[in-house]
Order: sequence, then structure tokens, then C-alpha cells
Amino acid sequence: MSEIKLIEVPKWGLSMEEGTVAEWLVEEGASFSKGDLICEIETSKIANQLEAPFDGVLRRVVAKAGETLPVGAVLAVSAEAAVSDAEIEEFLAGIGADQVPAPAESGRSPGGQPTVAQPDLESSPPAPAAHESVPATGAATGSRPRPGATIVPDALRGRTNGDVFATPHARRLADELSIDLARVTGTGREGRISVADLHDSIRAAGGTVAPPQSPTRSGVPGRSFEDDTAVPATPVARRLAASLGINLHDCRATGSRGRVCEADVREAERRFRLQPEVVAAPEPAAEAEFETIPFTAMRRAIGQRLQESKRSAPHFRLTADLQIDDLLALRTKINATVPAVKLSVNDFVVKACAAALRKVPDVNVQFDEATQSVLRYASADISVAVALPSGLITPIVRGADGKTLAEISGEVQSLVTKAKTGKLTADEFQGGTFTVSNLGMFDVREFDAIINPPQGAILAVGAGQERPVVVDGQVVARTMLTVTLSCDHRVIDGALGATFLRELRRFVESPALMLV
Amino acid sequence: MTEKYDVLVVGSGPGGYVAAIRAAQHGLRTAVVERDRLGGICLNWGCIPTKALLHGADVAHTLANLRPLGFSASGVKFDMGRLVEFSRSVSGRLSDGIGYLMKKNGIDVVRGSARLLDKGVVAVTAADESVSEYRADHIILATGARPRSVPGVVPDGDRVWTYFDALVPSELPKSLLVIGSGAIGVEFASLYNDLGTDVTLVEVAPQIMPVEDAAVAGHVRRQFEKRGIRIHTGASVSELTVGTNAVTVAVRSADGTIDESTVDRVLVAAGIQGNVEDLGLEELGVEVDRGFVTTDQWCRTTAFGVYAIGDVAGAPCLAHKASHEAVLCVDRLAGADHVRPLDRDYVPGCTYARPQVASLGLTEERARATGRRLQIGQFDLQASGKALAIGEADGFVKTIFDADSGELLGAHMVGPDVTEQIQGFGIARSLEATADDLAEVVFAHPTLSEAMHESVLAALGRPINM
Repeated sequence: MSEIKLIEVPKWGLSMEEGTVAEWLVEEGASFSKGDLICEIETSKIANQLEAPFDGVLRRVVAKAGETLPVGAVLAVSAEAAVSDAEIEEFLAGIGADQVPAPAESGRSPGGQPTVAQPDLESSPPAPAAHESVPATGAATGSRPRPGATIVPDALRGRTNGDVFATPHARRLADELSIDLARVTGTGREGRISVADLHDSIRAAGGTVAPPQSPTRSGVPGRSFEDDTAVPATPVARRLAASLGINLHDCRATGSRGRVCEADVREAERRFRLQPEVVAAPEPAAEAEFETIPFTAMRRAIGQRLQESKRSAPHFRLTADLQIDDLLALRTKINATVPAVKLSVNDFVVKACAAALRKVPDVNVQFDEATQSVLRYASADISVAVALPSGLITPIVRGADGKTLAEISGEVQSLVTKAKTGKLTADEFQGGTFTVSNLGMFDVREFDAIINPPQGAILAVGAGQERPVVVDGQVVARTMLTVTLSCDHRVIDGALGATFLRELRRFVESPALMLV
Repeated sequence: MTEKYDVLVVGSGPGGYVAAIRAAQHGLRTAVVERDRLGGICLNWGCIPTKALLHGADVAHTLANLRPLGFSASGVKFDMGRLVEFSRSVSGRLSDGIGYLMKKNGIDVVRGSARLLDKGVVAVTAADESVSEYRADHIILATGARPRSVPGVVPDGDRVWTYFDALVPSELPKSLLVIGSGAIGVEFASLYNDLGTDVTLVEVAPQIMPVEDAAVAGHVRRQFEKRGIRIHTGASVSELTVGTNAVTVAVRSADGTIDESTVDRVLVAAGIQGNVEDLGLEELGVEVDRGFVTTDQWCRTTAFGVYAIGDVAGAPCLAHKASHEAVLCVDRLAGADHVRPLDRDYVPGCTYARPQVASLGLTEERARATGRRLQIGQFDLQASGKALAIGEADGFVKTIFDADSGELLGAHMVGPDVTEQIQGFGIARSLEATADDLAEVVFAHPTLSEAMHESVLAALGRPINM
């Protein structure tokens, strides 16, 4: 295989779309072995270390620490010492540079992307103008060679015989392209022929050179090369893109009427890192002072998921005041009696939710947008929202309906600690059928929460407080807990949500029911 | 509002401070409570200061044996006070180092005595009697241990010592009777003997160093007796009377005979007991068994969110066992991968007397009791070039393998610098190396550790140099 290999952003878990390079663990120029830790990558929810997929020498770090890249994007280049820096440069430039594919969700798949693994061969050189006059409409180019194809002029064709001083790379490429190396001029030390020399000769003889496709790239598209004149874009974006050499197909389109706007081009520029990020010099005077804190992968995930939820799921909310004096008494008694158990009010709430979901399984659902169907789950997998300094994560107590309070409590504490140390596995926080979010420790009386997609409902839990309530015409003090259920109206109607809350009240106010 | 931590560690010895650092490395908000000096017994009153005194004893031994190498020295004076000062300065420096490590890792140091108030709640009483409360999801007890008392023998800090007193004597005692011959008792017996004190060692078990292999203990006994240390095994102190200038001690042997003597000082080194008092353990349901907190393989106690590591969690009471449990306990609660429970049989034990003793795994007696087919090899340092060259060819290396699996079951070493060599067997054990693997290792020549290789070859029935 090729001595030039790429190290790419891996895909850890189904929901992983991008990763942020936290730290390089191998320095440029250092060699590494398969299984060595290459760098640390932070994803939306976990930080993990990337193991080298093969032995090699880290020749070029493409993604610097702190940069966020989509899955499959190039992190670094590995090559043997025999491969020159120039060859690496050329390789990188060829695969669409120090950069990355357009994000899959952009919806504009780059159809004109060269997908052939082998370079296209043409026996005769077309007119040099051919590959420049790409139809302005971006329509199919018919039988004409694609602009990306390598075209070897007849002048070079042949089979290399005998002793020619060339790099192994150049020799292999010459064989593939049926080029006689004797017809190529070497510019390396003592006239050694490099891949670059080969390409120069092809161009000099009137041929064209395709952007090479790396055989070690795992099916990841490079940058787009096709015509982008038909892509809707603002004039500023179009001009900026042209000056930066960015294809508009590679930009998101967040501008008005679905157009690519300036910010989208800037974002693509950052992704491709055509230029180092320009840090604006601080204004000398009168500017309000602020600090720019780049989004972490986790912040971005929270933003994307919850914005999506709030936008697409029609939320409605149901609020109930639950009396928890009996629950607190039971909790005190259990905690005082059993050394190995320490139950929190939230543990009871999680258990009560699980029990209520078992009674009202139509709330234990996820919405499957693709198939426009409701997925009703047999097991109550309760996501528990955990606040972290860096954001929020929702580890899951799986099958909470079948677990005892003590099991739930032990599991929650373990999950919370793992969330803080970044050691949660994908299985421990992805999925879930219902979420409990508790802000009681902050003395919040009540709040409502945004549904954790694709779940159907979330319960927001406030602080247990002594409040005056009327019992049999008398005002008396009771400890009350206000909970608010947010439901996705596409899958849960008002009466159904209310039924769930009625069951929840039954368990919370008669906690003995949770023990049987 | 009370401070809330993810992890709160009680005690800053080699268990506690390591646990705190490991927790901080995991990104957990961590505090450590210490009622005395940072570093615990190990740094301040144990491993480290005794090594400084033993270093002085080694110099005394060297000075006494200059002649064969052609040297002679006269007018050599010894000031016990200066040696103690050196020992204390080493401890002080290391204790300051712990303070630096805590700061570097962002760990809060809380000064005072901790007590568990409730699950997840700790009260700390400071020196000025003020009480602060702290909350923590995980509370790690690393409170260590202290000398165990012997009936009828009450340490008074003057005539009757514990190791605390033996580390800071105001003058070199003329004679010393040591009760107990574990690592602590043997080290003090050896160092005071080298410094010129007349030493008697009393052990209740049938052999000195009761946890060590019988051959090793026998070897040390012979070496000690050659140096003039009187040893009573199977014996106990039946009567002890503290006078103004001396202590009268009656030692009763197994056969009932009583040996009465008068000594300058008595050192009680008959084991240690866990610091389990005044921590609120009983109220919280933390089980304590024979003076030590009961824990499972992940260092969890019987109470929710409470862990115990190191000496307070039971034998072997060694600093490196505490540090290992610290990392194990924290990694486990943090959800780290590849956490393995500790096999307490394979914690190496080291005694820094002259001769040094280092061992790992089962003694020959315990290995035989397993009923497995054994391969046992022993190599004597009399046949070691390096040992002869440095004039310390007394000692041996003994290795015990399972004949069927090739597994290293035990390694027992006595002689110069064996405490630095035992790690080789530790690595072998940890990597599950067989006797054949060890036989294939190239050992550098001439080294003391070649004896390790020869011992393995002997176990395989093919030694070269004997």
C-alpha cells in the first residue's frame, strides 16, 4: 500500500458527527506503532484517545489542537521517511487539501466529485481548453473527461525498462499510468524522479493531473470541485468564497432564503483551515470588554439537539404539586436503617417515573421522524440530567422499572461521577425513553424543560418545600414538590400526559407502592 | 452553605494524598483532610525517617569494616542528635512536597480531625475547636494505623518507646529491648545495634519476621546473633518495671523459663492497629473487624459512598499497598477502564535491616499448603561475584514456581539491596511471566540481581554457577 497514509477523525458511536482535537500525544516527526495513543479527541459527550490504526511516522499534523472537524476529516499525515515533504504537500493538496468533507447534513451532496479509485485514462490529450470550459450550469459533462481525471499524453506513454532512478511512489504511479520513466526528468538528488516530477512532465507534455484519491481514505469525500455558480449565495459570500478558493458546495447555507452567507464561508474556511484564524486586535477604547469562549463539542451538541427539539417538537406542559412528607419519612427511615444505601429524593422520583411509565406505557416512547411512527418501549430507561462545568449530559438508568431504589441510587451516583470524569460510554448516555431533570438543589420552585429528543416527554423537578396547603378546609404545612411534565404533542396528548402525572402522584405520595 | 466535593479523602499519607491526586487527575473536585502533618506516618514517622537513620547505621557498619579494604580511621565521633536532625530534615522536605502537590493538583487541604456525620457528610474539627461541614459523593478513609499496645507495657515516651520515640532519641541508648520482630522491630534492632546499642529482640511467634519465609527468617536470625543481638522467639514480656534510670523486664519463654534483664530503653513494635476511632464509623454502619475497616475488592466499605484504603483497611500495612489501593479505588469510582482488584498476597514486602529482606507472594510453607506441584530454586550469594566484590556475600534468592503452569508463586530475597531488586519479580508476576520466560532474560554481569536469574534456573533444575 501507499506509504502516505491519513489519520482521520474516527466515528465513536452513532451520534458522533464531529470531534475537537484536544491534544496531540505524538509530535510531528515522531514515529508511532499501531495502538499507540495519537491524540485526544473530544466529542459532543466524551473525551477519548485515538489509537494509531497502523505503524508510521507522523509527518504532518493537519488539525491543530482546539480545532473541530467532522467525522472522516484528515487529522494528520503519516508517511515513511523516504517520502519527501513536497510529496506530502502535493498529496494533501490533491485530496482536497488540509481539509475535510462537507458535512453530510448539508444536503447538497457533491455529485461531480471524482469517485473513481483508478485515475481515468485517456489515450490522447484533449485540447487544453477542455477541462477549463466546464458548463456553467453544472450539468453532466457527458463523455468528455471529467476535470478531475489524469490524462497522460502519448509522448510519455510506455513501459519503464531497466534502471531508472525514481522513488518507489513514482515508480508505482508510472506503472499505473503506463508512463515510461525514461521520458521523465528527475529533479531530486542525483536526478531521482519523484511523483512531483512525474506530474510536472504530464503537465509539460499537455496532459492533466487528477487530484489523487488516497487509497487509504475510508470513503470520505474530499473537497468539492464542481461548478458552484448555481448555488444560491449572497454576493459577499460568493466573492469571499472565490477569493478564498472555497467551493460553495462545501458551505452550509444558513443565510436568508437558504443562501450561503458570509458566516458560512468563514465557517468553511475555518474547517478547511486555509488560513490561520485571524484574531481581531482588541479595539483600543470604549469597547465593552468581553471574552470569546469557543463552543466545546458538548456545548454544540446541546445547542443542536435542544434547538432541534424546541423547534420541531410541539411542547405542552402539565404541572402538578406532589406532597412528599411520606416519601421523606420513608427516605429518612431507609437511610438510617441500611448502611449501604443512601437514597435521594431524586432517586425516588426516578423510581416513581419508571413505575408510572410501566402503568402508562404510551408515554414511554420515542418519535421516529423518518418513518413518522411512535416507538413504544417495554423498558423504562430513564435519562437523568447531570450538570457539568462544561455543560449537561443525561446518563441513563436502564430498566429502572425493574430496579430497586437502592440499585437506582447506586447506579445514579456511579453515572454522575463517570459523567464528571468523562468516562461514560456511549451506551451509558445514548438512548433513554424518558428524562428527569432536577434543579431542586438550587432551590428552584418549578421550571419546565425542553424534551430530550427523540424522547416523548421530560419531567422537570423543583425543590421540596414546606408550603401552606388546605386540607379539609384547614390551612396546614406540607412538604410539596412541584413537577412539570413537558410532552411532545405529536406523540403524547394532554389527557395521556395527565394520566401519567396521576400515576406519578400515586407513587410519590404513597411511596410504599414503589417497594412492592 | 457547606462545601460540596466529588471526593473527600480523610488522611494525607501515601494512601490519602495519592487518592486525592488521582481523583483530581480525573477532573473530580477533591479535598483532603489532615489533622497533623501532610504525608502521614510514612513520610513523617515511618518509611522515610527510618531509612535516614538506617543510612547512618550503614555508615557505622562501613566504618567498622574498613580494614579489609586497606583503610583505617581514628578519632571517628558520632553524634546521635545530628543523625536525628538529618532524618527530620528529610521528612520535613517531603512533607512540604506533598503540600506543593496538593496545590499543583488543585486539591483543597482541610486542617483538622474528620468525623462522618451522615452519609456524604463530614464534619472537620479544627485546632481551634471550630467545626466545619463538608459534603462529598465519595468519602475515602485513609486514616492509617498506629502502634498496637501490648498488655502490661505502657509506652511513656521516655523509657518505654513506640517508633515515634525511637526515631527521635535524645541520646543513643546503651541497651534496648525490642518487643516484636516485624519489619519495624527488626529495622530498629538492626540500626541501633549498628550504632552501638546492646539489643535484645523478643518475638511471641516461633520465628522472627513471622510473615516471611522460614529460611529467610532463619538467615536473618543467624546474622543478627552473629552481630550480638540476643533473640527470644516464642517468648513474651511477662513483667516490666520502669525505674528512674532503667527498665527491668522479665521475658517468659515458651518452656516457661523466665529471663530477667535490665535495659536502658524498651521499644514496643508488636504490630499496629487501624485508626478507626472517633470517625463516626459505627453510627454510619461502617463495619470494623479486629481494628480494621472491612472493605470489598474495590475498597468499598459497608456504608454507601464510604471507602477505605491503606493501613486502616487492613494488612499488609505498607505504604505502597496504600498507594496502590488509592489509585484502584479512585479509578474504579471514576469509571476508568481496566481496573483490577489487588491481590494482597502479591504486594511486595521490604525490610531495610542489615541484611535487607524483600519478598513477594507465598512462603514455601504456604505454597506447599496449596497442594500444587512446585519447582523451588535457591541461589546463595556466596557464589555471586558482585556480592563477594562488595564484601556482602551473605544472603540468597529463593523462587517458588507452580511446576505445571510456570507461574511465579513466591520470591524471597535476603542480602544487600534486595529491596531494589524485588521489583523484577513484581514485574514478572504482573506480566504473568513463567519460569521459562524469566530464564530467557539476559541479566547484566556482574550484578547482585544475577542471583535472581540463577535462582530461577535452579528452580528449573539447570543452575550454571552452583
